[in-house]
Amino acid sequence: MHLPVPIEYYLALSAIMFITGVTGVLARRNAIVIFMSIELMLNSANLALVAFSTRMGNDAGQILVFFVMAVAAAEAAIGLAIVIALFRNRETVFVNDMNILKW
Amino acid sequence: MMQFLGLGILTWITFLPVAGMAVVLLLGKDNKQAIRWTAAVFTGIQVVIAALIYMGFDRGMSGINTMAGFQYVEKVSWIDIRSFSWFGNLKIEYFLGIDGLSVLMVILTALISFIAVFASWGIEKSLKGYFALLLLLDAGMMGVFVSLDFFLFYVFWEIMLLPMYFLIGIWGGPRREYAAIKFFLYTLLGSVRMLLAVIALYFSVSVLDPATGEKVHTFNMIAMMNPANFEPGSLLEGVGTTWRYMAFIALFIGFAIKVPIFPFHTWLPDAHVEAPTAISVILAGVLLKMGTYGILRVSFPMFPDAAVAYQIPLAILGFVNIVYGALVAMAQTDFKKLIAYSSISHMGVVILGMAALNTQGMTGAILQMFNHGTITAMLFLIVGVIYDRAHTRGLNEFGGLMNQMPRYSAVMVIAFFAALGLPGLSGFISEAFSFIGAFQAFRWIAIASTIGIVLTAAYMLWTLQRVFLGTLPEKWKDLPDINGRELFMLVPLAVIVIILGVYPAPAIDLMSSAVNTLVDIVNAQGAMALIGQ
Amino acid sequence: MLPHILESAKLFYPELALTIAFCFVILAGLVTRNRIFTGLAGMAGVLAALYFVSVQAPVDGTAFSDMLAVDGFSRFFKIVILAATFIVQLFSLQSAELKSRAMGTAEYNALLTALALGMCLMAGASNMLMMYLALELTSITSYLLAGYTREAEDSAEAALKYVIYGAVASGMMLYGISIVYGLTGALDIYSVNQALGSGQVNLWTLILAGILITVGFGYKISAVPFHFWTPDVYEGAPVTITALLSVASKAAGFAMMIRFFRVTFADLIMGGQETGAWAMLGGFEWNEVLAVLAVLSMTLGNLVALWQNNLKRLLAYSSIAHAGYMLLGVVTMSPEGVSAVMIYFVVYLFMNLGAFYVVMLVADKTGSEEMSAYAGLGQRSPFIGVAMTIFLLSLTGIPPTAGFVGKLYIFSALIGAKMIGLVVIGALNSVVSLYYYVRILKNMFLKDAAPGGAVFGLSVPEVAMLLLLLVPTLLLGLYFGPLVEYAQASVSIFGIPR
Repeated sequence: MHLPVPIEYYLALSAIMFITGVTGVLARRNAIVIFMSIELMLNSANLALVAFSTRMGNDAGQILVFFVMAVAAAEAAIGLAIVIALFRNRETVFVNDMNILKW
Repeated sequence: MMQFLGLGILTWITFLPVAGMAVVLLLGKDNKQAIRWTAAVFTGIQVVIAALIYMGFDRGMSGINTMAGFQYVEKVSWIDIRSFSWFGNLKIEYFLGIDGLSVLMVILTALISFIAVFASWGIEKSLKGYFALLLLLDAGMMGVFVSLDFFLFYVFWEIMLLPMYFLIGIWGGPRREYAAIKFFLYTLLGSVRMLLAVIALYFSVSVLDPATGEKVHTFNMIAMMNPANFEPGSLLEGVGTTWRYMAFIALFIGFAIKVPIFPFHTWLPDAHVEAPTAISVILAGVLLKMGTYGILRVSFPMFPDAAVAYQIPLAILGFVNIVYGALVAMAQTDFKKLIAYSSISHMGVVILGMAALNTQGMTGAILQMFNHGTITAMLFLIVGVIYDRAHTRGLNEFGGLMNQMPRYSAVMVIAFFAALGLPGLSGFISEAFSFIGAFQAFRWIAIASTIGIVLTAAYMLWTLQRVFLGTLPEKWKDLPDINGRELFMLVPLAVIVIILGVYPAPAIDLMSSAVNTLVDIVNAQGAMALIGQ
Repeated sequence: MLPHILESAKLFYPELALTIAFCFVILAGLVTRNRIFTGLAGMAGVLAALYFVSVQAPVDGTAFSDMLAVDGFSRFFKIVILAATFIVQLFSLQSAELKSRAMGTAEYNALLTALALGMCLMAGASNMLMMYLALELTSITSYLLAGYTREAEDSAEAALKYVIYGAVASGMMLYGISIVYGLTGALDIYSVNQALGSGQVNLWTLILAGILITVGFGYKISAVPFHFWTPDVYEGAPVTITALLSVASKAAGFAMMIRFFRVTFADLIMGGQETGAWAMLGGFEWNEVLAVLAVLSMTLGNLVALWQNNLKRLLAYSSIAHAGYMLLGVVTMSPEGVSAVMIYFVVYLFMNLGAFYVVMLVADKTGSEEMSAYAGLGQRSPFIGVAMTIFLLSLTGIPPTAGFVGKLYIFSALIGAKMIGLVVIGALNSVVSLYYYVRILKNMFLKDAAPGGAVFGLSVPEVAMLLLLLVPTLLLGLYFGPLVEYAQASVSIFGIPR
């Protein structure tokens, strides 16, 4: 199938999103922001999958995207639930403060 | 073949201590006398079996690399795996047997274990655990000397580590934890290298399974000695290849740590000093021999090419052991440490003798293994006797004991003179054989090594002087003389030392045909390697 | 379509049993608070699944349009996973740590079965879609279970760290999957392999994708450098869950990884005719990447374990090191190596669960997981002391314990493949590991009990549990023929000529 926008653009955007996500995970210390960065990583993969799928006229990639979206929602729900559980104990969402367990 | 209740005699002698261990574990914790006597009875039976083996042993059979040459053989299939390719087919057998190399060691192990039980009579702390571990250790040592399947050999070799660790670590002296872990780490470091060499050997050797006619890999030691069994293109195939040298070195390090050969010896003084008397006796009497036994049983016949190639380095290591051990022994003021270093020195004689690769040298080496076992056992018992009474081992704190403890002095003099190689006592014979063999093979190293004899005489006599002569310090005025139990341990050893010193034939007869075969194998195949180069 | 689904469902009985058990336990939790009842219900599901796996015909096939492969390989790993789950369920019935948590016991038991389901799916996944889903099912249930005792601060903290690391790793893996999809137009690993085999693929892009996917595997098997979550999660999570993660989830990760590398990157037509080792497409030696991971995992795991004083943390690093040993088996890329990994998992199952069980018993009775709680344990409770000694020796790999057989086969596979350097590193590492395992022995037997260190006895179920783990640990060390034969017969991966 022909894409109105060349696939390289999609892939470049996807790569930028992915790198932004990874950087966010590594650099940010707020657990909520880290989860947002992870969502960014997942969505960059989704974007790439959809682009490839459309380009090749192959449905498999788009099907995977639906699963990824569902899983990402579940993961975020669990993650936030754990953050809340921790916040009740500790009153913080900063991973720097989570230091009971260390080397 | 001798059997009893359907089990071969070697199975009995190996697993009796395990049965003894089970009985000890079933006895009540406070029933101390019963526990001691159980251990004594089981090891006593072991000595009786060893005597039976000695009497029934056919002096004419050679062993080493022929199945038919072994005696009291037991062979049962243990693990037999058929895999998807013949590559993974595996055969492990419960394969026991002895020949001239091992028979003396079996006797020595039985004897020393029995004596060690009596040397442990005074142990009070967790008696039950102590004797259970001691008996397990006994089974492990015996197993090493009788097994002819490499897998089985390795299992027995490793089984000894744990009891030894605990025996030193729980019942030892002040620095016991350090000494115990050092022993454990050193030996494991050696044995994993050995394991790698064993696996490499196992992959290189295959035999035809008589049942199916298929090729199978095997851990059978005798099969590993036959160059024709090495699979073409396998790692250790051929003569004098790099891989073969590497495998030889890996095995050698595994054994050398046990001997211990310089520079792998540093665990030994620590272990000896911290271990209780009985454990020192076992350590010096039997455990060290496992290293040299391994070299003779495994390294030489399986890698004759490497043995010939490394003859001179091996001899030099022997020389270093002799002289270094003697020099360091001379500097000691701790009685037990002195004996420990003298052990290193005496084991050097074994290395020197076996490196000669000729009949005299090897005979001397094997005889020295046995003699050192008995003599050093005496020496450590002697240290134990004085330590039990005086609670110190400082040589400089004693003096003038000759009059205070006359019977003790008599025994000690025999042991010391045997250790320094006085003619008429057993140590002389084996050292003489070793040196004669070494002299034929590498004259200058042998001559240089004789310095060790002089040094040994010096520190032994000096020690005697420090302990016996001079004035008796005031605090030792009421030291009691040696008692009946201690004499019971020492006198049989002293008798053996004297008999073998005057008339060594009973021991030499046992091994002469095995030694001749071993020498032939090494020289014939080793010569092939030299021609090939 | 329907006949195909029905046909596939026949191969899917084990997973169906787990699914039904999951639903049943959740529903039962609405009407009863009895933790024993829901626990037993979950165990019944796992046992049923074990039964269905064991009666499956020994024929290789795939289910649901090649989503899942059902072959000897996956059956073997499912048995390991289910056996581990079952044993951990038994632990859970006894654990005092879990008893103290009144709420949500049904959820705990339901999640255990869900976790088992996820891991079974991982063992069979032959489509990248399925791989991702199975990995996420496993991970998400693990996050919840790790944080199950959420009132305990360390448990919640462990769960959060786990979620973050897990989500990042799976995100990277997903991105790798999307690249592979873009390169080959397929998610099914057999089609991917065919597409790669046609040679129209940019090798460097493929390597990038492969490495991103390896991050996902590495996280699941806790290989260095993707291990950072492991010590924290192992220390913070309830002991039962730590035990399960250390064995079952590692097994599932290995199963998925081996299948992926074996099917996707191997040259299925040309490879392996002569030597038995797999040939890799495009000439890129993936085993070199894995070898680096293996060496790092062994070395770092063992070295850091030397300094640990918390037993759970120590065992966490030890499990990282064991992942390294097992990776060595994969590095050979040969049936021998894979069967060695499978053998290792069976022995690891018993010895590692045994060690964790002792940790759980001691923690329940003394309230501490620290090394100091073990001082004089040999006198206070000789049976626990002896059992722990055997488990630790087995972990070190000293005969006559099962751990030795595991190491023997790994080392044999390496020597058979002539990878001498790696085998020497592995052997030296097992010497290092002796030091910290012996530290525990030292505390148990060489140190005297601290004042107030109570003597404690064991109940009958506790003794039975210890024996259940102890007997195989010793027996497999002395008689391992059947295990080895079964493992070697099970290396068949669907669609791969052996």
